Amino acid sequence: MKRVLTTCPYCGTGCMFYLVVDDDNKLIGVEASTEHVVAQGKLCVKGWNAHHFVNHPDRLTQPMVRRNGKMEPASWDEALDLVVGKLKEIQAEHGNDSVAFFSSAKTTNEENYLMMKLARAVFKTNNVDHCARLCHSSTVLGLAATFGSGAMTNSISCMEQADCILVTGSNTTEQHPLIGSRIVRNVLENGAKLIVADNRKIRLARIADIHVRWKNGTDVAFLNGLMNVIIAEGLEDKEFVASRTENYEELKKVVADYRPERAAEICGITPEEIVQVARMFARAKRAMIVYSMGITQHTHGVDNVKSCANLAMLTGNVGRPGTGVNPLRGQNNVQGACDMGALNGVYSGYQKVIDPVAREKFEKAWSVENLPDKPGLTVTTAIDAAADGKLKALYIMGENPMLSDPDQNHVRKALEKLDFLVVQDIFPTPTSEYADVILPAASYAEKNGTFTSTERRVQHVRKAIEPIGRSRADWEILCDVAARAGYAGMKYNSASEIMDEVASVTPIYGGVSFERIDQVGLQWPCTDKEHPGTPVLHSGKFARGLGAFSPAAYRPSAELPDEEYPFVLSTGRCYFHFHTGTMTRRSQLLHREERFPYVEINPKDARELEIHDRRWVHVTTRRGTVRAMARVTDVADRGVLFMPFHFEEGPANLLTNNALDPVAKIPEYKICAARVRSC
Amino acid sequence: MKALTERELREFFKSIEADYDVRLPIGLHDGTRALGKLGDGPLRLAGGALPGKPTGVFFPQMQRILVETEGQIREPAPADKPLLVVGYTAADADCLEFVDRFFSTNYRDDVYFSRRDGAVIVCVSGQCGPDGEFLRIAGKGCDIELVSDGQRYIALTYSEVGKALVERAKGGVPVSEAEVSALRDESDGLNTDDSDLICAASELIGQEKVPEDFWQMVGDRCIACTACNLACPTCTCFDVFDRKAGDRTERWRIWDSCQLDGFMREASGHNPMGQEWSRTRRRLHHKLAADVTRWGHVTCFLCGRCDKVCPSNIGIKSVCREIVERYGARPAAEPIASGAPA
Repeated sequence: MKRVLTTCPYCGTGCMFYLVVDDDNKLIGVEASTEHVVAQGKLCVKGWNAHHFVNHPDRLTQPMVRRNGKMEPASWDEALDLVVGKLKEIQAEHGNDSVAFFSSAKTTNEENYLMMKLARAVFKTNNVDHCARLCHSSTVLGLAATFGSGAMTNSISCMEQADCILVTGSNTTEQHPLIGSRIVRNVLENGAKLIVADNRKIRLARIADIHVRWKNGTDVAFLNGLMNVIIAEGLEDKEFVASRTENYEELKKVVADYRPERAAEICGITPEEIVQVARMFARAKRAMIVYSMGITQHTHGVDNVKSCANLAMLTGNVGRPGTGVNPLRGQNNVQGACDMGALNGVYSGYQKVIDPVAREKFEKAWSVENLPDKPGLTVTTAIDAAADGKLKALYIMGENPMLSDPDQNHVRKALEKLDFLVVQDIFPTPTSEYADVILPAASYAEKNGTFTSTERRVQHVRKAIEPIGRSRADWEILCDVAARAGYAGMKYNSASEIMDEVASVTPIYGGVSFERIDQVGLQWPCTDKEHPGTPVLHSGKFARGLGAFSPAAYRPSAELPDEEYPFVLSTGRCYFHFHTGTMTRRSQLLHREERFPYVEINPKDARELEIHDRRWVHVTTRRGTVRAMARVTDVADRGVLFMPFHFEEGPANLLTNNALDPVAKIPEYKICAARVRSC
Repeated sequence: MKALTERELREFFKSIEADYDVRLPIGLHDGTRALGKLGDGPLRLAGGALPGKPTGVFFPQMQRILVETEGQIREPAPADKPLLVVGYTAADADCLEFVDRFFSTNYRDDVYFSRRDGAVIVCVSGQCGPDGEFLRIAGKGCDIELVSDGQRYIALTYSEVGKALVERAKGGVPVSEAEVSALRDESDGLNTDDSDLICAASELIGQEKVPEDFWQMVGDRCIACTACNLACPTCTCFDVFDRKAGDRTERWRIWDSCQLDGFMREASGHNPMGQEWSRTRRRLHHKLAADVTRWGHVTCFLCGRCDKVCPSNIGIKSVCREIVERYGARPAAEPIASGAPA
């Protein structure tokens, strides 16, 4: 038996724990680390069960290729030669941008870096993206525009230092449980004020000082309403605004239109609630905003993020412990995947592909010429391009768009239309059913590397067991693909060597190395070998110099309820499952806890529609119908349905609307019009 | 009686590895302490209760219990050596004694006893707790007890096996009965506040003096991480599942948690403990009230692990403290605020 210290593969909190390995190369448990700076000897239910799926018999253990319409086992040589041959052939016929690569927030920094290097240096396309597009692309753009850096400004420890916390669009105790529990402790033990602005009556709402149940999608009106009150009552931080920000007059002009009465009318709440929240937040010495998908997954996601940033700047709550704008990243390495440049428009460290200086730098570092100079397709626009027949081949590493992307029928048509689909994953998924080649990957427990947590902390992922069957680490597969494509610049002896290359071309990771993060991770920016890392961003100066107020006007969501579809359908995750369920639904206790697709409905709505708890219902939108079990609960507000998207047999994303934020291209998962009836 | 240094003890444990599967407190990669083998990390005898469930060495988080191939069912091969487990606190020894009874009353859990039978238990106590804390001397419930005097560990033996083993230890210095008595006195003088607290809370729960809204308030704080169960040495519930691959089926058991909805849910979906607060209440009621009827005593032995692993600070001691503060009898000296003149 041995124990190996590694980082949790679920949410972005970044808890480290020990995997317990028996003498048969099997994982048999998890033990908490009492010394880890975030976990402190504690874990959530998914963390305690993070060993379970790894040895599940469903694991993909050998490469498969489609022969005469059937998937059959193949050698690695045959599978990889086919991948490279087909991608080259398609590019020769249809151009470099006829292929796209989906990287993965579940894989390591090193693997994300290599995926973007493979796409750009080897296949000469910027068509590389990953699921951050679906969760926090609006954060990356919104905070970059206002602060100059699109990441969580503060550290997880700050959750216990704030005097007032505004939690909006984040079910923190369920989705980032060890962050949520810090908020609980701060509120109940230190007396911090808690404002929950969320349509659902989430657990934190039970202990909140104020719970505002606004109408879904009216975030900008609410936040502008708060700022209107703060300015009207002189509660703004005048010195901070004067010395640290710009464009204040424009903010004043825009929010002037959102007097409490008007904002409240849009939001479906009372003007008093707006006034009360504004005063509580603005009067706190240290106030922080915590948000997640409830802010970002809208057609106005970027506006929502900017409005959060505006509120923080207006009240001087940036750059100090216990304050800040804190987007909680949902996946173990979604922060890192963004940092590594697995995005359509940037190299690692957010260096833009349109910048000739950056291109030249990477051409030199990678010993290549003519890196593509225009941003490529995103996860969402690539699917549209495939459906239109413009994109011919797709290489998907560790993503499952059939369950995770909006409008499943649209995704299905797109995947069916592709000439060639490669899926590299640890388990078969609804997406791999459409694959021409399946490449079996090693799980997080079978390889070395790093994940970057939501607080920008770069931490070790350590190999606990040998890869299952003939599976291989994603980075090794990617290097093999590059070599077969004739590129000599992707040969590494270890993941550590890849990180050394990342550090050499990525200023914010300049001081990161495996050696330095052996005991405690480093928080970027960490620009050189002596740099201690940065727990709080924008201290004294914003990354862009002055913070830019970027006011936005309220825009209604793309598809609102009407007579035919009278409910708002919102989607998200439940506590016990993770994303498309490939791991948690193969974990005994987690799967037992939530076995069926379900839809939350308010008791009054249920009574009117004669819908009963634990009975099957049909939920219908303009995209289709899904069968789910009714969960009658006051967690759901009147007129609102909530469905988790984990279930293949009841896919919430068959129902969602593929309407995108115009800037971030993030889909509006949080709002579409629906109806519901008993089966 | 003799006292041995940590180095001498290390050599001693090494010398008996041929006869025993020795597990002892070691420091892991980041300094976390755990039960491991000598080669797995530096010996870390001092520091008090290990963070993991100590009874997990006999009842692990996940354990293969049967393998079926071609219609033949096989149990895992018995271990070739008995276990020798070092590092139990006095409370851990109490927990183990209870778990032994639990797994052998009315039915005998062969899987548990396949590891437990023949195992040697070594407690660690005295002046080696966290932050200089004195650890209560067990005095029973183990084969050997290593009582720290701050410099060395005095090896006390409570069984023939223990005695024979300690005789094999090389080195050490003789220790007088007076020195041991002094340490015992110090142990006996330790305050019993926590024990009094648990007893008082147990009575209040048993007398149904803790109202539903209190449990709702505690339940609101719980994030259902299940760690209280997973760390508790006396939690013994497990779930069973099968893994099938080709013609081979493996049956495993895994620690379960009464804080989960699925723990008591019926096949119909109905759950008599369907609300979070009712499960929180049940967990404490079980250990502090129901078990008093079943076993004649509370089954929390105050090891403190649930308080350490709970992310929301609602471990058993914290909740009991709140119960006693809210619903316990007022001290006689305190005036009752019922309109009496000031």
